[in-house]
Amino acid sequence: MALPNQQTVDYPSFKLVLVGDGGTVYAVDLCGYDLRKTTFVKRHLSGEFEKKYEPTIGVEVHPLDFFTNCGKIRFYCWDTAGQEKFGGLRDGYYIHGQCAIIMFDVTARLTYKNVPTWHRDLCRVCENIPIVLCGNKVDVKNRQVKAKQVTFHRKKNLQYYEISAKSNYNFEKPFLYLARKLAGDPNLHFVESPALLPPEVQIDLAEQQRHEQELAVAAAQPLPDDDDDAFE
Amino acid sequence: MATADPELREEEQTPAEEEDTGAQIAPIVRLEEVAVTTGEEDEDALLDLKSKLYRFDKDGNQWKERGSGTVKFLKHKVSGKVRLVMRQSKTLKICANHLIIAGMTVQEHAGNEKSCVWHASDYADGELKEEMFCIRFASIENCKSFMEMFQEVAESQKQLDDNEDASETAEALEKLSVGEEKNKDKASEEKAAPVKEAASTETKEAAAPAEANKIAASTEAKEAVPKQDDVEKKGEDSTA
Repeated sequence: MALPNQQTVDYPSFKLVLVGDGGTVYAVDLCGYDLRKTTFVKRHLSGEFEKKYEPTIGVEVHPLDFFTNCGKIRFYCWDTAGQEKFGGLRDGYYIHGQCAIIMFDVTARLTYKNVPTWHRDLCRVCENIPIVLCGNKVDVKNRQVKAKQVTFHRKKNLQYYEISAKSNYNFEKPFLYLARKLAGDPNLHFVESPALLPPEVQIDLAEQQRHEQELAVAAAQPLPDDDDDAFE
Repeated sequence: MATADPELREEEQTPAEEEDTGAQIAPIVRLEEVAVTTGEEDEDALLDLKSKLYRFDKDGNQWKERGSGTVKFLKHKVSGKVRLVMRQSKTLKICANHLIIAGMTVQEHAGNEKSCVWHASDYADGELKEEMFCIRFASIENCKSFMEMFQEVAESQKQLDDNEDASETAEALEKLSVGEEKNKDKASEEKAAPVKEAASTETKEAAAPAEANKIAASTEAKEAVPKQDDVEKKGEDSTA
């Protein structure tokens, strides 16, 4: 479900509610990067990994499209944008939620301890929707919550994934799981989105010179993760 | 490979994940299987490498990750045009999609032999955007192969453009001469010239686009029929 001023689409779309402890933001700066829920969504939006956290008040809704063997689908990802810090979320946030992701941070034990509270609040409004529990930041070495210690999902029949928004580890899994449950199709999978032929472009000399100058500046900047040689 | 060794397998899998907890939830939509089109059906891959792509954020003066997956150079079977397409692994979404055209250059990325940079008008989102890209490979060799292929393609596109201009003119001349029997011989002479030139002076690679170009030119010529004004003008230019 989109916000009133948001465009609707002619293919199946679902309201996805993202919840979890915003408190992670404080732990995050210690590692030099931010792995909040917002980061997770933005990662999927543009592929960009946001290093800086910008606290905003209210709700952000990000449309996220996926191409599947059963056509294109869209998740409208509702993100609290940190407002939970000001005393819980209003029901309006959850209402008409069709699926949900509960995030916690495996490097901050408190965020896992709060998972039951988020789950309770969510289920009070959204009955019987598919929910994924995500333990984020599994790329960090000194985790506080080990995989074996994560048991809440078993009691509540949630799906659990260990993810890393930084390394992309399992980053598609929560969405794939939710899509499969929403469609009742365990074989649903992601497929190549059509790569349209780009239109012809002409470059004039002046423009090309400007590009070269800009490129020289850019080429002098290091990559954000030069040390990391891991490739999927 | 790893599955053969039980110990390795155990290390690879985290115990708590992957198991479906078997939540019984009623589906809310019914989706039918659809035909999948990659949009790459009429192209051949010249290169196919795993990599990580970044775009330059001018405001922040920093590189930002765009995605990691497979980068390809795709050559169109008919037009001979080549584009760079990169898809994110797992979701298979498009991270980059742009033509490699004459005049484009790829440069070394300062301080890293595994990465390189270039500028392009990118069509990944379905609209043209000026972007600066940096791509990083797992090895120096892969980066070299990428850069060499990039440069080679950009140069071959220049020849393709030149040939196209020449053939277009020739085609236009021929069109013009349909009604004027006198000029017919001269026109076909001119048409033959550029193709011959390309075939004799260039390597095998350059000859191939010239062939493809002939087909492209003839299709274009068909479309160009209503533009009689254009045709006449071109005809005048080249005969003058």
